[in-house]
Order: sequence, then structure tokens, then C-alpha cells
Amino acid sequence: MILEVLSAGLVITACLAIFLDEAVYSVVALAGTFLFTSLLYASSGAVFVAAFQFAVGAGTLAILFLSGEMLSEKPSKKTQPRSILAVIVVGLLLSFPAMFLSISTPGNTTSGVSFGEALWNLRAGDVVLQGLVIMTVALGIGIVLFEKRKGAA
Amino acid sequence: MDFVVLSLVLLAIGIYGLLTKRHLLKVFVSVELIATAATLNFVMLSSSAGRGVGEAFLVLAFSTDTAVSAVILAMLVIVHKKYGISDISEIVKIGKVKKKSEAET
Repeated sequence: MILEVLSAGLVITACLAIFLDEAVYSVVALAGTFLFTSLLYASSGAVFVAAFQFAVGAGTLAILFLSGEMLSEKPSKKTQPRSILAVIVVGLLLSFPAMFLSISTPGNTTSGVSFGEALWNLRAGDVVLQGLVIMTVALGIGIVLFEKRKGAA
Repeated sequence: MDFVVLSLVLLAIGIYGLLTKRHLLKVFVSVELIATAATLNFVMLSSSAGRGVGEAFLVLAFSTDTAVSAVILAMLVIVHKKYGISDISEIVKIGKVKKKSEAET
């Protein structure tokens, strides 16, 4: 039952994020989408991924709030509560197939490779390469900022 | 409860937003939804199969997703700073006018 409620919330907030006119409200709805996604992950046993999703989502939303507030102008007409209600109903209807259709069945969650083993034994090369890419990007940003400051002085 | 259908619905909402919305911030939100749909598929299938490989892939996918977000946000800021607009169709119009004037000169 909890999974069904979470999936309905996920679809409804995703619809609201797309359909709401004002950028800040849209970002708030996207925050709800991230929250429901991480709760879904946590309830299906992927706690590490839920924590990652929550952390990445929080960072993205902070930036989005700032840019949404600064860069977008307010829409001329206000969104009617009736149209918001209609979007919520559409979202609820869209979440019904996920609740009542069943293509796959949940298997057992104890066998197989664990998260830590998979990350460090199978994907260690990827992790190191991603770390290198992030380091290079950070170095690039540092150089650009340094050059800009040097040019301004 | 089927997560494949759920991620398909999320993907459809994201693609709809990508095709119909003209504001760059909405495009960004649509891209985020598409990325969420893809990662949801990874995590749910891997956790139902009892394997951590999908979850490990997802942690790497997050960094790619963040890089994509950074690029889109940078574009949004640059375009808004240069032209004062954030509507894709108007940006395309400005580009066409600029090309036309360059061709005339």
C-alpha cells in the first residue's frame, strides 16, 4: 500500500512540475518528485541510493530555486485552483497503470552481488575515472575564475 | 505494483514536457524527470533481482545527471544574460535574424 501511495505521489508531482506556470512552484513540485523517488528507493531496500538521490536532489533544487527566482519573470495570469486540481486528477489516473498492471514480480533481495562489492569490485575503474573527470572540471573552473580575476585586476 | 510501467509513465511525462514547453527552466525540469525515470528503472530492477550492480551504476549515473544539469543551467544563465529571454523559440528567432543580417552584409 505504501508503494502505491508513493508512486501516485511521484506521478502527481511530476505532472505538477511540468504543468504549473510559475517557475518556483514548478521547482517545489520537482522537490516532491525527488522526495517520493528517494522514499521509493528506501522502501524497496536501496538505502544507499535513496541517500544519494536525496543529497543530489537537495543540491539541484537549491540551485534551481535561485535560478528560477532570479531568471524567470512572473506569469501574467495566475494558475486557477481548478486547473491544479485537474492536473492532480490526471496524475492520479496516470499512476493507475503502474499500480494495477504487473509485468514483473519482485524476486528475492538477499542473493547476488551487494552494493559495495558491485561499486568497488566491478565498477572501480568507472569510479576512478569519474573522480578524475570531476577533478578536471574543478581544476578548469578554478583556472577560469583565476584568469577572470587576473583580467579584472 | 510494477515499476517498469511507473518509469514509463514518468518518461512519457518528461518527453511531453520536453516537446511542448518552451521555457528553458521547464526543459530542465523535463530532462530531470527523464533522468529520474531511467534511474528508477535501474534501481527497481536491480533491487528486485537482489543485485547491487544496478545501484552501483546509478551512483555513477547521478554524476552524469549532475553534469547535464550544470550544462543546462549554464546555458540558461548565459542566454538570459545575453538576450534577457529564456524562451527557446525566441532564442531560435534571434539566431535566424542574426544569420540573415550576417548573410546580407
